[in-house]
Amino acid sequence: MNTGTDHIIKSYDSELARLTGEIVRMGELAVTQLEAAIDVLERRDERAAQRVVGNDDAIDQMEQEIGHDVVRLLALRAPMAGDLRNVYAALRIASDIERIGDYAANVAKRSIPLSMVAPVAPVGGLRHLAELAAEEVREVLLAYRDRDAERAYQVWKDDAVLDEAYTGYFRQLLTYMMEDPRNITPCTHLLFMAKNIERVGDHATNIAENIWFQVTGEPLDKQRSKRDLTSNPEITKLGE
Amino acid sequence: MTDSALAMSSAPETAAATVAPKLAVRDLHFYYDGFQALKGINMDIPEKQVTAIIGPSGCGKSTLLRVFNRIYAIYPKLEAKGRILLDDEDILGPGYSLNRLRSKVGMVFQKPVPFPMTIFENVAYGIRHHEKLSKADMEKRVEQALRSAALWDEVKDKLKQNALGLSGGQQQRLCIARAIALKPEVLLLDEPTSALDPIATGRIEQLVEELKSQFTIVIVTHNMQQAARVSDLTAFMYLGELIEFDRTERIFTKPGKKQTEDYITGRFG
Repeated sequence: MNTGTDHIIKSYDSELARLTGEIVRMGELAVTQLEAAIDVLERRDERAAQRVVGNDDAIDQMEQEIGHDVVRLLALRAPMAGDLRNVYAALRIASDIERIGDYAANVAKRSIPLSMVAPVAPVGGLRHLAELAAEEVREVLLAYRDRDAERAYQVWKDDAVLDEAYTGYFRQLLTYMMEDPRNITPCTHLLFMAKNIERVGDHATNIAENIWFQVTGEPLDKQRSKRDLTSNPEITKLGE
Repeated sequence: MTDSALAMSSAPETAAATVAPKLAVRDLHFYYDGFQALKGINMDIPEKQVTAIIGPSGCGKSTLLRVFNRIYAIYPKLEAKGRILLDDEDILGPGYSLNRLRSKVGMVFQKPVPFPMTIFENVAYGIRHHEKLSKADMEKRVEQALRSAALWDEVKDKLKQNALGLSGGQQQRLCIARAIALKPEVLLLDEPTSALDPIATGRIEQLVEELKSQFTIVIVTHNMQQAARVSDLTAFMYLGELIEFDRTERIFTKPGKKQTEDYITGRFG
């Protein structure tokens, strides 16, 4: 809980503010990476894809710096109550953003073999998924910056939209593969990329849960039904 | 009693609602020559747990502790109103003798105050005041108290030496030994480590943890980390009022009141 009152020791406030700023910057970088990964896929630009993969190091580096800052705050400030939840959440959120960065890099990496085979129609569908995921991450970062638990909760709920879109895309890829076995290789890559993007959304919901805990001190109720239905055997029957 | 006072008088969840409190404070007011230092305090202190009282200087935490053994009674113009039930008996009532109260409620102060006599006599002195023991029994009781206070191994070969020769930390453990030698039920600790170095402080905190299986302990401390480390329950006081009283874990991770949050996170109130 930010009580709206400054700490008696001013440098404590600036250290906490810096931590928030670092997390937001790290998150923005991860979103940029995800968008860049879709761009290089559509442009079939292998060298640019490799640049995106290489840029992931910067996100990993930021996570390490945040970890260092958190340990330092814990050791030197011994944060309590809302401050403690703030620092704890920062550490967990940084780790989720780091995973989001990994997924973006994976998407870029798989675009390289895809650029070496003939273009397939369903490539276009991946952008929609990536846009939904990027929007989720952007929203959850704003919720984090503003300590807005309600906004975080909305992101958490809206992840169902991404899950449904992923399930739909999964069906679409199955159909393409069944129509023409030559589609199997590129569509399998696309399937993995789609799953990566769907996982980005899951990490955004993790971040939302951490924001909820940071602000309210209570865990977010996890009774939401799982919307990724692709593990349901009924789905694979659709193409028959 | 107001609604909020009533609500607050019920002890926090872990204080075992089924067990009667060891100390029950009911609408307690305290005045120093007209100045009101405590304003309608209600709290239930559970048996054989450690309850910490925190708050800024002048919040009334030490006053509250001192009312628990009526140490104020030696000064004129000091007045307590309300009730403090020790095992359901009002210790502020006219029928409760000071001698009886002091045998049940022991106190240790901020600055160790050993008597200028031998280590042995420091512990034996209080016992003699309350009980008539044989020499062998007295020796046994003193040893027991010094062992409980984790001091025995350090002083067993110099029991006849003057207690003033001990280090500050040892002196404080001697004072704890002196208090527990009377076999009290409640042990009050008024900032017991604020004059000690971190190692001596650690020993006292370890001791508190060991003693809580035998005594109901109430500790007043300026050191919030200490309250977090040693206590099961924490009370936050401000300007003579009990603002919040809850499980220690809750107070330090998610306090219910903004004033508590501001205080424990080091913000301006």
